[in-house]
Amino acid sequence: MIERIKAILDSFKPGGYKIIESKISSEERFFIKKNLDMSRSKKVQHFKVTIYKDFEENDVKYRGSSTFDVHPTNTDSEIEKLVEDNYFAAGFVKNEYYELPEKSEEKGKEIRSKFSGKALNYWMPKLAEALYKEDHKEKGGINSAEIFLNKIYKRIINSKGLDVNFEVYNGMIEFITFWKAQEEIELYKMLTFSDYKPELVEKAVKELLFLSEKRAAAEETVASGKYRVILGDTAVKEVLSYYVYNSDAEAVYNKISNLKSGESVQGKNVSGDLISLKLDPQLENSIYSAPYDNDGVLLNKVNVIEDGIIKEYHGDFRHSNYLKVKATGSINNVIISGGSKTIEEMKNEPYVELISFSDFQTDVLTGDFGGEIRLGFLYDGNDIKPITGGSLSGNIKDIQNNIYLSKEAEDYGGFVAPKAIEMFNVSIAGK
Amino acid sequence: MKVIMSKFLEASKSDIRKLIENLSEDFNYVSVLGTDSHGKQYRVQKTGISVQDSFWNERGFVVRIHNGINYSELSFNNISGQNMDGFAAEIKQKVKSELAEIKKSKNINGYPLIKEEKIKEEFIGEVDASNKEINDKDIIGKLIKLKDKAFLNSKLLVDFKLNFQQVHVSKIFLSKNKELTQSYIWSEGSILPIVRDENSTKFNYAGASGLKGAELLDELDEKIENCIYTAEKLLKAKPVKPGEYETICSPEVSGIIAHEAFGHGVEMDMFVKHRAKAEEYLGKQVASELVTMHDGASAAHNVSSYLFDDEGVIGKDTVVIHKGILKAGISDMLSALKLNTEPTGNGKRQSFERKTYTRMTNTYFASGNDELSDMIASIKDGYLLERPMSGMEDPKNWGIQCMVNYGREIKNGKLTGNIVAPIVLTGYVPDLLKSISMVSKEVLLEGTGACGKGYKEFVKVSSGGPYIKAKVRLG
Repeated sequence: MIERIKAILDSFKPGGYKIIESKISSEERFFIKKNLDMSRSKKVQHFKVTIYKDFEENDVKYRGSSTFDVHPTNTDSEIEKLVEDNYFAAGFVKNEYYELPEKSEEKGKEIRSKFSGKALNYWMPKLAEALYKEDHKEKGGINSAEIFLNKIYKRIINSKGLDVNFEVYNGMIEFITFWKAQEEIELYKMLTFSDYKPELVEKAVKELLFLSEKRAAAEETVASGKYRVILGDTAVKEVLSYYVYNSDAEAVYNKISNLKSGESVQGKNVSGDLISLKLDPQLENSIYSAPYDNDGVLLNKVNVIEDGIIKEYHGDFRHSNYLKVKATGSINNVIISGGSKTIEEMKNEPYVELISFSDFQTDVLTGDFGGEIRLGFLYDGNDIKPITGGSLSGNIKDIQNNIYLSKEAEDYGGFVAPKAIEMFNVSIAGK
Repeated sequence: MKVIMSKFLEASKSDIRKLIENLSEDFNYVSVLGTDSHGKQYRVQKTGISVQDSFWNERGFVVRIHNGINYSELSFNNISGQNMDGFAAEIKQKVKSELAEIKKSKNINGYPLIKEEKIKEEFIGEVDASNKEINDKDIIGKLIKLKDKAFLNSKLLVDFKLNFQQVHVSKIFLSKNKELTQSYIWSEGSILPIVRDENSTKFNYAGASGLKGAELLDELDEKIENCIYTAEKLLKAKPVKPGEYETICSPEVSGIIAHEAFGHGVEMDMFVKHRAKAEEYLGKQVASELVTMHDGASAAHNVSSYLFDDEGVIGKDTVVIHKGILKAGISDMLSALKLNTEPTGNGKRQSFERKTYTRMTNTYFASGNDELSDMIASIKDGYLLERPMSGMEDPKNWGIQCMVNYGREIKNGKLTGNIVAPIVLTGYVPDLLKSISMVSKEVLLEGTGACGKGYKEFVKVSSGGPYIKAKVRLG
């Protein structure tokens, strides 16, 4: 199929092309309580093609492109029509000229996974067993769960002779826990993984059941006001994603990000912890780990921010080209270093610890963050009380010069970062 | 102008029929959904242009089989040169080995057979005839013009992003008793001005959608000036003082409340899992008497209007809440089988590659009798909330969270011209719905973006309503 597509593309003599072939097979199991409710599987093949057209206007060179899907059931005449239409469209896409990546002599590292040793359906009962191992409490348990395991083969070629391929595994377990006290409550968790590590699944279930018990005991929220907040769980990842987005070459090129290489990302007079951010394309057990990105760029570790200072932008080949910086390629595994305090040290004085939200969000453009509180803890100096309800809101730019990151780290799924952030004077809309 | 049905799907029907016949020798229920949807997405901003196929593109099949205990599914997209008998044998072997695995376990949910009436129907949508003449050059050219117009409007613009996509959906559903065909076009577009002053960066957003084509670009044009004006005002906006306020929700905010507060809560696959509090409230008052709420593929004319859902059930208009009383939930086929209720045509998949869940279609509050001006005049200290950015359901505990881009201040019955931003709207769903005290006359629906189930399984939906006056907690 790929040869057919190449032949048709070549007949148009375009400025260039790129083809990404993906072959995906999957096994999926759906559970209600402990009962298997449905089994699904998938076997599909996709081709994503980008055609480039070079043109000049007023002595300025441009490179237009258009990206389209070719299905394995497309006939030659359908593919010809797709190429013709997209080559035409590319002629109106007036983008600054950029090069395509060249073939590299160096080979990308294989992403190893235990899943490769057996057929996908072998792992379904194993994953289910790990999922339900901790589900033996009287008042709570798993309400429902979904297990997905994908085997993905990817091949990327381009008109400059680049031709790379690799295989990865992409697993996901989504589960809802419940706990019955006066009223029944539930909490949600999505786990992603690329290797068979049953102990991590068991740990995640145990932790969510613990938090469910606490949420069931929570009765009310705090009074509206400003608080010293210890932010935990996935909200930490959401807040720190602001720095990932704003150090991306595309955001810098588009002038959405003001961050400049060699300058502080947290402003002046930082009294709290400094951010250090690395990208690791080989991060263990991450579904984002890959030897190459979607342009076929070989991926290596990158030191993006060190002690609060931008060392290197990260990003795709095109936008790195525009900024005239080395292209790191698109890497989606993030590591943010721990800070100066343990969580226990953060808890020395009265605090509001927020663990679970309905949907915590950070706006990476403006720095605004917030969400409705599903579970937190209030320590008033004497007692620790579980709380629920109300909402947190703030802006990272207003607080970033005085935040503390925990020494303890957490793997949020391709995003290893401190387990907690201590922030001051943050607004909670409570009772 | 009539939309043209996918020739690929028409040509595939005989092969798929053969597959169904063959599989039916071993299994008592077999159906196949075939999809061939194609769309292009155009993005224009200050620093570049992007043209790519839509996220909603798909071409493939999913076969559903009653394996003797419950249902198994296989998604596939390569039948080129396939010997259908050989393929059927492969599927049989796979389902039977799955069944052997299932039988080893005591923890299985059984499902009865789907009973189907004989039906053959077709829906072919229509779009404005002018679309036939419009090509990529015209669409990109128009978007560039709109971008240039935006930059003439404001010196504070850092960027102005325009998105437009048009998707041509074609689907077939075949089983022993059903032959359903549909083909229609929906479009959506949005504008997003990003403005900056010495202190901060802010953005605003406006969108348009419908069962239409490139004529939608003119609707975006009309929204540019006001959208940028508000974005500039956001630079001076102050955070809202946390508390409970009397508010007026714009049709877009009403829509997200309808969708998040109650729509997700009446998805009946949640009833099967006992994850929805609404299950206990059928026939009871859950909202003010002024509230009537609909959901359904045939309830409105927008991006989720279709003849049949992804399980071959004809779309309906479900009255979820009637004058404050919770009347009915919405349901996919398998949940209806489990609950012994009628499916409502709400079984939707992200694509042929994903499972069906109960999903919303076009969800909205019905109109009332009030004038917006009277609603504003009735508020002493509150806000007119506009432009929802996102929302999250909590059907078990009836919490609601909506992120709203801004609120216009109302003091002593008048808009002051001040705005507050950003806003997190939270509350307890029945308290919010019971607090609705005024409802305006005109209903507006919008279907830009996508709805997820949790954090995945995205589908197209529209939502909306009239202006509503309600008491909510803002932070």
